[in-house]
Amino acid sequence: MSSLAIFFWLLNITLDTAGHLAFKSAAIAEHETEWHRWKVMLSSLPLWIGIVCFCLEFVVWLALLSLVPLSLGMLVGSINVVVVMVAGKMLFGERLDKMRVAGMWLITIGVALAGGFAS
Amino acid sequence: MSTKRFYIIGFGALMLFDTLTQVSFKLATTHAGEFTPTTTWLWEVFFNPWIYGAVIGYIGSFITWMTLLKHAPVGPAFAASHLEVVTVLAISVLYFGEHLSAMQVLGALLIVGGIICLSKSEAEHEPPPQETA
Repeated sequence: MSSLAIFFWLLNITLDTAGHLAFKSAAIAEHETEWHRWKVMLSSLPLWIGIVCFCLEFVVWLALLSLVPLSLGMLVGSINVVVVMVAGKMLFGERLDKMRVAGMWLITIGVALAGGFAS
Repeated sequence: MSTKRFYIIGFGALMLFDTLTQVSFKLATTHAGEFTPTTTWLWEVFFNPWIYGAVIGYIGSFITWMTLLKHAPVGPAFAASHLEVVTVLAISVLYFGEHLSAMQVLGALLIVGGIICLSKSEAEHEPPPQETA
């Protein structure tokens, strides 16, 4: 991969992780009823930060795919699963036990193989 | 609703919406033919009824995902959302007649294995049922 492709790849990981963390923090907003929760959520800053991150990620993903084949993009993109899991532990103190770590790696390798080795 | 039930319904719905999106995109673009950088091609895609299937899929996924995240930890939930890859591969073979490499089949099996591991972790840490007073 060229250094420009690596830059887009790292930017993709950053935006994806930031988007997911933003959505999570929007989803746990204080609420009395489910309806109230949605009202609070839809007007919360984190939700819109998340939406902007995902829109930018879409553009960055297309930019990456203009430089590398889809299979390589899928292969290197699978690492997002690991990064979001670690970020969730760091920011929200999510449990990271053996079974979750095993599941995380199986899914990461699975996505890399399923996307990276299309016939 | 028990946590287990909440997760099964939630991730099931998420998988259906995500799959609907991907399949709709495929059908919309198949109808439009091979990509050409023309307004005619974009027109074909945007006025194809299937594109609305993709829009419904996206909106459904968003609502389901934000509901799941109320309780679900984001790391494992994001990992589990990749079940979509398995269903889309299955439909691409069964419905679109595409061929999978052995590596892709292995990948799909690993994803399913990973989701089983994640659900085992949830089962191990499930809080004991509440005593009713």
